[in-house]
Amino acid sequence: MSESIDVGLGLLDHQLVDSDGRRCGKVDDLEVEGVREGKPVVAAILVGRRSQVHVPWDRVEKVDSAVHLKGSSRELRLGRGDDRMRRWLEWIPGA
Amino acid sequence: MKAIFSIALGILAAIGGFVDMGDLVFNAAAGATFGYQLLWVVVIGVVGIITYSEMCGRVAAVSKRAVFEAVRERLGFRVGLVALIAAQIVNLMTLCAEVGGVAVVLHLLSNLPYRLLIVVGALALVVVIWTLSFEYLERIFGYVGLCLIVFAVAAVKLNPDWGAVGRGFVPSANTGELLLYAFFAVGLLGAAMTPYEVYFYSSGAVEEGWTPKDLRTNKANSIIGYGLGGFLSFALMISAGALLLPHGISADFLGTSALMAQAPLGEIGLLLALVGMLFAIGGAALDVAFSGAYNLAQFLGWEWGKYRKPSGAPRFTLTWLVLFALASLVILTGVDPVLVTEYSVIFSAVALPLTYVPILLVANDRAYMGTHANGKLGNAFGLAYLVVIVGIAVAAVPLLILTNAGQG
Repeated sequence: MSESIDVGLGLLDHQLVDSDGRRCGKVDDLEVEGVREGKPVVAAILVGRRSQVHVPWDRVEKVDSAVHLKGSSRELRLGRGDDRMRRWLEWIPGA
Repeated sequence: MKAIFSIALGILAAIGGFVDMGDLVFNAAAGATFGYQLLWVVVIGVVGIITYSEMCGRVAAVSKRAVFEAVRERLGFRVGLVALIAAQIVNLMTLCAEVGGVAVVLHLLSNLPYRLLIVVGALALVVVIWTLSFEYLERIFGYVGLCLIVFAVAAVKLNPDWGAVGRGFVPSANTGELLLYAFFAVGLLGAAMTPYEVYFYSSGAVEEGWTPKDLRTNKANSIIGYGLGGFLSFALMISAGALLLPHGISADFLGTSALMAQAPLGEIGLLLALVGMLFAIGGAALDVAFSGAYNLAQFLGWEWGKYRKPSGAPRFTLTWLVLFALASLVILTGVDPVLVTEYSVIFSAVALPLTYVPILLVANDRAYMGTHANGKLGNAFGLAYLVVIVGIAVAAVPLLILTNAGQG
């Protein structure tokens, strides 16, 4: 990923998608390292507004209209709200 | 054949997405009050919804983003949240109107108790939506809803003064009741451009996996679909102007609209009108409930989509189920669905800029859209409509109060 992007417009608030194509949160914030050294680098994506989940930047596969992650949302501890709510529906026929 | 099926989204957009409670109520009421004088307003509304739905479909096909994904990215969480809350309030009001409308039509068809039919109608919709795929939902509600074409036949049979009809397409206001005229104009524009239409249309385009190859389908869908919606709106207003106005009948009940088909065409006209209304309003209920779920999921990053099984997108599914339950409860209190419709359309008008401004921004953004960004013509229309939209948003609530919700 040598192409430069505007972090505010091209990364923040973008959709996260795991390796199974499942939508699993938004880029709510970013963790930047190396500011004092003068070489700022995005170290991690922070997901969630209260209890935030760290996704290290090396788990990012590619960035286009969404941020595609390596690995399943379960192993990244993302999309847990959907996982919790699933049991409310699973008993219904056709779910 | 493929071409016919590929405009199914456009047909559903026309029937459930355009002709819903708002259009049935406002077109009939406008015709009953001002005859054909307000036909030109429908033209403005239809061109507006074509302009913005084409933009939304293009954004969805090119950038793979539905409306509230774009809203979140361009406006950020805080400002976007204001747009989301406004959209959800208007959506819920609209859903209440549609759920009530379904029950009223079922009552007219069966004569069973109205309150029972609120529950039966909402449950039947939930079961149908749960069971059928997106493609079948589009086709069933869209194509059966085409029974509404009976109003076009009725309009012709009622022998309207075609000269007066023609003059109705030229803007004018020959009336002493300017405020009421303005109220109906705002209502007709709000009903034609109700925000859920573009939420559903853009999310549907993402659901169907549109790519830039589908841009022609998008154009055809929005022009044919909403054009057809506009045609049906003309038919409703002309029928009301030819039948209700001379007899001094107001269009305060949904059943009055069905009578406009019965008077010239008999029982078969009545039946076709009621079946068409049932599927159009039912389709609208589906569109609106899904729009509410689409918006929330897209803003917060949840999995969404009817192409998933219900449990594949749990919070999306629970959201539309809860919206149906809330709307049913509101209507069970006994509020008049027609009154709810009037309020929901007027508040739609207020919320319009919050929906259409982000769409215009994104459709102009070359980083998203590349060579498919808005051209000069698209922007000229988009900006002209922005002025119209802001105008009606500002005027909507004062007119609602000054005219006592159109009661004069």
